[in-house]
Amino acid sequence: MNINKYPEIVPGHKFLKQFYIGIMTWTIGKAFQVMYKLDKNVRAEFDRLPANFMMMLCILPEDAFKPFFYAKIMPDFVVNYGLLPLGVPMILGKDKEGKLKYMGSDKRGKKITLKLCMKSIDEAFRIFSFREPLAVAFNHGIYIVDGDLPESLAFVRAMEIVLVTLLPKSLAKMFVKRYPSWKELPPVKKWINRVLLWLRVYTVG
Amino acid sequence: MLLPSYYDFCCRVKTVSGNKALEQIPGLLAGMNASRPMIITDKGVVAVGLIDIAKKAMGKKLKIVTVYDNVPVDSNYKIVDDAARVYRQKKCDSIIAIGGGSAIDTAKGVNIVASLGGSSLLEYEGFGAVKRKLNPLVVIPTTAGTGSEMTLVAVIADPDRKIKMLFVSYFMLPDIGVLDPRMTRTLPDFLTASTAMDAMTHACEAYFSMEKNPLSDSHAIQAIQTISQNLLHVVKNPGDLKGRAALAAASTMAGVAFSNAMVGLVHNLGHTVGAICHVPHGTAMSILLPYGLEYSLHRASDVIGELLFPIGGPDVYAATPKKERGEKAIELIRKMNQDLHDATGGKHPRFLKEIRDRNGAQVVPESVLETLAQAIMLDGARMSNPEEIYPADALMVYRHAWEGTPINRKKIDKGGKKVKW
Ligand SMILES: [Fe+2]
Repeated sequence: MNINKYPEIVPGHKFLKQFYIGIMTWTIGKAFQVMYKLDKNVRAEFDRLPANFMMMLCILPEDAFKPFFYAKIMPDFVVNYGLLPLGVPMILGKDKEGKLKYMGSDKRGKKITLKLCMKSIDEAFRIFSFREPLAVAFNHGIYIVDGDLPESLAFVRAMEIVLVTLLPKSLAKMFVKRYPSWKELPPVKKWINRVLLWLRVYTVG
Repeated sequence: MLLPSYYDFCCRVKTVSGNKALEQIPGLLAGMNASRPMIITDKGVVAVGLIDIAKKAMGKKLKIVTVYDNVPVDSNYKIVDDAARVYRQKKCDSIIAIGGGSAIDTAKGVNIVASLGGSSLLEYEGFGAVKRKLNPLVVIPTTAGTGSEMTLVAVIADPDRKIKMLFVSYFMLPDIGVLDPRMTRTLPDFLTASTAMDAMTHACEAYFSMEKNPLSDSHAIQAIQTISQNLLHVVKNPGDLKGRAALAAASTMAGVAFSNAMVGLVHNLGHTVGAICHVPHGTAMSILLPYGLEYSLHRASDVIGELLFPIGGPDVYAATPKKERGEKAIELIRKMNQDLHDATGGKHPRFLKEIRDRNGAQVVPESVLETLAQAIMLDGARMSNPEEIYPADALMVYRHAWEGTPINRKKIDKGGKKVKW
């Protein structure tokens, strides 16, 4: 038997989907960081958690989706290489002062206390292209692989607030079970936060 | 039938049921290469003589190494560590858990520490911490309700931090569940009623949960039907062994259903009442079940309407127009609570304000409702309910459940889309 006739199957790379999801996780990760400063409800959710809180949202199989890598040759032929801030995993954690920060997508050197995994890249794409509500996704496609329930509940709750602020109603509706009424979230507050949020995601963070 | 785009289902507990089920245990343990079991139970179970019945039934074929009966009402990790120490000292190789939810959860915890090593259960908290097969675990439930013999979860308290820790792993599923009506015969009427209503809640919530699937549905429907047909009769005739066996089967089926489809809002509200006011789980469930259904009705009216068939039977189902089936099902559950209240001479409470402790003091004062409503956000069961619930909504539900009045369904916040399963 010629073993070479049976090559190992290498998982396909869906670069476009990966790139799209990378942009989404980067934006949402940054949005978490900004919303932590803007919104007292988001702040309350995370302040309740222990100081070493560090969570990662990733896609299974975990190591198949490496952070984007770049290398470029600088004018004096020095090769400059590093990691782009874009990557599929989204890591959120507390910094030394206990504030929530987006920590990029590279898990090396970080102690993850809560790991949520999406079943596949297609599942992730369905979620981030607004075709599957977050509640359904959590029941079907996102698993708590490691960590504690209170932490993941806090994340989900904060995620709902972030997405409602970040996205227009028609898209955000897909993510939450019930879109907040005027009483729960006054439109003025929502719009002020939305403008500030979008401005700061791409600037000071 | 609702066929979700994706679902998963797992049930790998061997179930042994019948009037002579206990006699099977020595052979079953031998089949798993185990011969030195430790019994984990609580003092109440020992006092009513159930351990003697079990020991006698297992006979001389099996030597019970030790009986650990220190399990408290709410299992806590210190007891687990202590029992694990005894397990190692006496060189046991398997566990037989006899009791209600607390004894079974303790046994699951002991099995982790005893099989995987380590000094304390705290090392294995959370999801995914248990990563390999554990030693044999046989579960003999003495209440027909919790369904713990079928679940992969154990809830164990940490008295120092005042929290309930959750342990979840497929490896924690027991190997064998033994349903023997001799073990539930001595259960007092009001406990029979409330534990069976807990099972009823598991089945109903599994049936309208976001994670429902065809396999869990079939278990849920059969469980609801069995409980509806047998519960009142068993409460009135405690010696009805056939009815007892039926309830035990229903509780196990409900366990299969909810361990795969999850529970929802009723457990969310109920866990909170249990944690803060120490209301027994089954009591909280029987009171809150109609309210949970009522609150979610507009989201899942078709699905909740289907519950009328197993609850009311084919005649009632056929005679009720489709639009009214959900409301009728809720009405029948309220009636069931009322009937149980009458049959137990008022020991089965219908509303939160009726719950009394042994000294006759009120367990849930009206002033605590606000605190309860805030605390619901800390419970995981809220994830799988089709309708969202926030503290303001919870307060409204609690107020009605306290007073015993139906929810004004016009006042429920209904924003958002219809759920797609
Ligand atoms: Fe329950």
